[in-house]
Amino acid sequence: MSLDTLTRPWKAFSYGFLDASAKREMRRKILKAIAVPGCQMPYASREVPIARGWGTGGLQATLTLVNPGSVVKVIDQGADDSVNAASIRRFIARVSGAATTLDTVQATIIQSRHRVPEEKLRADQVLVLQVPNPEPLRPVEPNMSVARQMHADADYGRMWLQLYEQIVRVGRVMQGASYPSLVNGRHVMTPSPIPRWDVPKLNMAKHLTILSAGREKRLFAVPPFTRVEPLVFDDVPYRVEDHAGLTCRRSGARGVFMNEIPQEDGTSQHEVSDSQLGVKLLNGEEPGEMWYRDGVFRP
Amino acid sequence: MAYVATRGGERAIEQAERLYRAQMGEITPARVAEIERALPSLIDRVMGEASLYAPDLAALALAQSGGDLYEALLLLRAWRSTQPRLQIAAPVTQGRMLTHRRISAAFKDIPGGQILGPTLDYSHRLLATEVVQGKSFTPVPVEKAARPAPACHPSLAEWQKAQGLVEAPTLAPVDRDAIPDLTKEPLLFPAKRAHTLQSLARADTGGVLALGYSAMRGYGNAHPTVNELRLSEAEVIVRHPNGTEFSAGRVKTSQAEVVTTRGQGKLRLGFCATLGWNEVKTIAGATLDLNAAGAPKGSPVNEEFFLYHTEPVESSGFCIHFKLPHYVTFQSSLDALRDAKAQRNKTEEPA
Repeated sequence: MSLDTLTRPWKAFSYGFLDASAKREMRRKILKAIAVPGCQMPYASREVPIARGWGTGGLQATLTLVNPGSVVKVIDQGADDSVNAASIRRFIARVSGAATTLDTVQATIIQSRHRVPEEKLRADQVLVLQVPNPEPLRPVEPNMSVARQMHADADYGRMWLQLYEQIVRVGRVMQGASYPSLVNGRHVMTPSPIPRWDVPKLNMAKHLTILSAGREKRLFAVPPFTRVEPLVFDDVPYRVEDHAGLTCRRSGARGVFMNEIPQEDGTSQHEVSDSQLGVKLLNGEEPGEMWYRDGVFRP
Repeated sequence: MAYVATRGGERAIEQAERLYRAQMGEITPARVAEIERALPSLIDRVMGEASLYAPDLAALALAQSGGDLYEALLLLRAWRSTQPRLQIAAPVTQGRMLTHRRISAAFKDIPGGQILGPTLDYSHRLLATEVVQGKSFTPVPVEKAARPAPACHPSLAEWQKAQGLVEAPTLAPVDRDAIPDLTKEPLLFPAKRAHTLQSLARADTGGVLALGYSAMRGYGNAHPTVNELRLSEAEVIVRHPNGTEFSAGRVKTSQAEVVTTRGQGKLRLGFCATLGWNEVKTIAGATLDLNAAGAPKGSPVNEEFFLYHTEPVESSGFCIHFKLPHYVTFQSSLDALRDAKAQRNKTEEPA
């Protein structure tokens, strides 16, 4: 016997870059995360050829799920063409041979940073969210071992207190994006820094959402048809961003999440944040079924 | 009007990378070889932080990244992460290492002697400006000692253990193939001892220095004395499938052991080792290890704190990710701010 017989013939890298043992671990952890919705599963998190904090968690989940028949869409801040989205999409296509798309309706895997598309996702689609900081308790408890204990005890008192203090101080909950949400009535998760506008899209959704943090080495999931409830008091309702009345300066569309573009004269103009939806509306194409209609959420 | 103006992402990133590479020009085997030969300390540092012992690849990574240490590390780590773990080498023991430098600050002399080896510690730091004036700087040849130093040296801590000065930790037997591997398992707290030492071994030199220095200067609970500092070469002993053990080569390693007299009547030890020769990192790392016991949570000498925050690839990646657009998050906060301001104005109006 020689060392040759113990190894496979050398290749520059495996299919989808990650080696079999890394993918095996990812699959096991994804299954665990689906089994306990919202609960953070630690995983080894391999170094991949993009920098930590640039979507390495999402990338590892996508590389594990991808196959040559997949159709991959990558979004950064709602846009398919921002530099990091373009770079990640190019990398996934290069190492997997999968097709890529900008169209939400056509994609089978959607890796996203900070947005959930405005068109509804179906049961055959997977949303992979890149998560910079998976620990919703971090603002009240920076120590990770203590925070883990608090999750185990479902001890979210300090989180509630923090929200209450914001209401007392400034009259409203100031949490912008990554609004802490209770998953399946048990674990509080951070839904990654998606705007409040997007959180209701995860509640009882048809699609699977995998949230993966590469630098922090944690992943968690929202399985299909699972409750995701933003933490709110009975008398202070959850409010999404006030974008219903804004008009897109390019397409004239209204009632979706907008990017604000400051103007030299001190005013602001707005553009549809979901870039490919913006293109569809501009070209007069009929978009897929939407989560929001005229700024009102319709599940 | 169309979205054309914002659709140049792919081309723009390609050109941005070309601009960076244009600064450095062609990367030739000769350049890589020159980097490997001329910058041994840098090569050692990169190999240690990448936890990949491959001087030629470390030199290549430095050439490719134009000397950006964090980029070089990421290149090496990303390559390393796809490599299979074929073997676990036999434990390296101090008594069997080929030692080039071994000093102790705790004793005037130690069994086996103090060996200075290669160091700049006592050099006068005068810039060799004659080189920029066209003359080369030729090192003065080394004179051989009258009698050669022994190749191997005993461990000082072993002598101290025999004297009953230090507590010998009880070793839990671990099967050689079952040693916890930080690159294949997440770091959890309380950390396994193997994970702590592996994590320190690949920690950022600057980060370990900053936090170690803070402990040395008084923000820790124990003052270090260098018990033993060693630069050596270790044989990598692996097992052939037919059962025989053989050396697959040597790797340069550095290790530091620091002690404190503060404690319950015995010396307490702090330890750190890394691939390559890097004295500052191992002394600072051993100081952090020494101070970790009983440190309050959230303090810089708490293990969770310093192991998380000295991870070079993670910390540098997160730092530079702030260059990515964050306008969605910002928009969401802006909305809350404006709303709060509007509410405040409404309530203040009557007055």
